Amino acid sequence: MTSVPYEYYVDIVTKRYFHGVDNHDMDLVLDCFHDDATLTEVTSMTIHEGRNAGIRTMFEGLFDAHKRIWHGNFVHTADVASEAICSQFSVEVTPNDADSELRYENCNRFYLKEGKFSRVFVYMSGENLLK
Amino acid sequence: MQYQSSLDRAGLEQLAIHNYFGNVDKKDLEAVLNCFCDNAMITVQTAFTTHAGKGEIRRMFEDFMGAYKTIIHKDFTCTIDESNGRITACFTAELEDHEGNWTTLNNTNFWRIRGDKFQEVYIYMSGENPLV
Repeated sequence: MTSVPYEYYVDIVTKRYFHGVDNHDMDLVLDCFHDDATLTEVTSMTIHEGRNAGIRTMFEGLFDAHKRIWHGNFVHTADVASEAICSQFSVEVTPNDADSELRYENCNRFYLKEGKFSRVFVYMSGENLLK
Repeated sequence: MQYQSSLDRAGLEQLAIHNYFGNVDKKDLEAVLNCFCDNAMITVQTAFTTHAGKGEIRRMFEDFMGAYKTIIHKDFTCTIDESNGRITACFTAELEDHEGNWTTLNNTNFWRIRGDKFQEVYIYMSGENPLV
């Protein structure tokens, strides 16, 4: 497969992955990952392994626990040569059992192979939501 | 804010990894500060701590360099966005205090370059913030 262009990296992060997360669209989210992908929450060293195993379970927990999830204010460092994109962004979530909104300033590092996420690393500014 | 950078891919990596981290590890404060614009801002995002302007950045590095006997940054993986003047690196930081205790952190830095220096720096840390 020829390398994907710069805009592909921004689009998969914003228009597919985080759009899917914000809309609780599990299939859209999981389609961004390779089957053997890993997602690591670095600030708590929590590792979720496998698109249809650990990563799916993590998102089921996230979606079940929150009635509103929003990611925005993105600034990207996208690198076609190394097939990677690192993104800074704000997160707002409202838990199911509360009306108060929680806000985070997070970053993710996405490493891709052939257009899908192979390894994802998450840094969170507060308590880990991705348990 | 989008800034105009004058650095190419190799220049961005030279600035962030060699001119900056190379001199942090050598505790060469003036060489470190020379990487920053006068009104630069450095934010430890995981701790919501911001240092604005070279005066505050100098004070932060004086305290940091004084607090640790040994400072090592290594195992860099760089992501470079040349057309937008941005570079990100994940790395391991190993810090030895004056009692011989070692702290290891797995961090990620984001740098936004204006001209040929840092205008904004964001640090995401895996552990407690030593840049206070």
